[in-house]
Amino acid sequence: MTVSEMAQALGLKAVTAVGEQQIQGAMAADLISDVLANGAPGQVWLTIQTHRNVAAVASTQDLAAVVITGGREPNNDLIALANHESVTILLSNEDTYAVAGRLYALGVR
Amino acid sequence: MRDWRADFHLHTVLSPCGDLAMSPATIMARAAEIGLDLVAVSDHNSAKNTPAWRDAAAARGVKALYGLEVRSAEEVDVLTVFDEVEAALAFGQWVYAALPDIACDERVFGEQIVVDGQENILGFEPRLLISGIEHDLETVCATAREHGALVIGAHVDRGVDSILSQLGWLPEGLAIDAVEVTRYTDEQALVEAHPSLAGVPMVRFSDAHLPADIGFQQTLFRVEEPSVAELKLALAGLDGRSALPLRRALSDRS
Repeated sequence: MTVSEMAQALGLKAVTAVGEQQIQGAMAADLISDVLANGAPGQVWLTIQTHRNVAAVASTQDLAAVVITGGREPNNDLIALANHESVTILLSNEDTYAVAGRLYALGVR
Repeated sequence: MRDWRADFHLHTVLSPCGDLAMSPATIMARAAEIGLDLVAVSDHNSAKNTPAWRDAAAARGVKALYGLEVRSAEEVDVLTVFDEVEAALAFGQWVYAALPDIACDERVFGEQIVVDGQENILGFEPRLLISGIEHDLETVCATAREHGALVIGAHVDRGVDSILSQLGWLPEGLAIDAVEVTRYTDEQALVEAHPSLAGVPMVRFSDAHLPADIGFQQTLFRVEEPSVAELKLALAGLDGRSALPLRRALSDRS
């Protein structure tokens, strides 16, 4: 499944351009240090964290996309950096648990 | 110019995690006993014990500064230190206005006690003080600085509630004057593991929640006077001022 297919299937709102990268799994984490330690290329990252370092770590770890959950709004710093680094940022009004469950049901392991 | 032995990370009975023995009066008695001569209070998200801090310090002849440890929306802890009680209280009001309205369950978190300088109980803070406030880290640091604070990233090497744990590395351009390092970490090793900290002044304080921990780690400031402006010069290493973090390991405790 690609990032844009996931965005469509889950009804996610895009605040950046949406990539066509293949999804290679997912992780849920709110500590950026955890993603630095355990994030892997191609993963979708589910988080409530909205600091601009989210976009930076998504870029350095070559993640497929970031889904900001719980209806939280990213600030302009994050969106600007994400656009600069070509990181896909998507928003969900559902919480991390629900989004993770739906991703799992879609076959993302 | 003289040296001041400083500890700016001290919790009183107002912090839910602070031991019930941590009244400002007890802390000042201990500070005087161990030769600590410059102390700042840093309760979580509240400055309500700063008047007691001032009175207790005056009674013991210890120089006091006044602050709070703010927890940002990302749950990053930041130490703020002010010259005057009034400035700390004003900034404390801004913090409190952004604190989630969650009641403190005292059986779980502990009591949050407002006291005076003579250990009299003035009241109990009902709202849980250890929540992250609604403002992000950048806004917390910039607003503290606007209010006249010295701003320090707390226990930066810790696995929770620190700049490194929550945000991965030190964001560029953050309005801080220093980072605090715990007893578990060596400054040089820290910079090698986290290059974003290169060139950032480092301090060591106790983060005491118990009387025995007061002043356990200290920073030696050489300044003309113990003011925020002079401390900033010391951290920047300017005009002959200096700041020397003194590391102690757990095995050093007497």
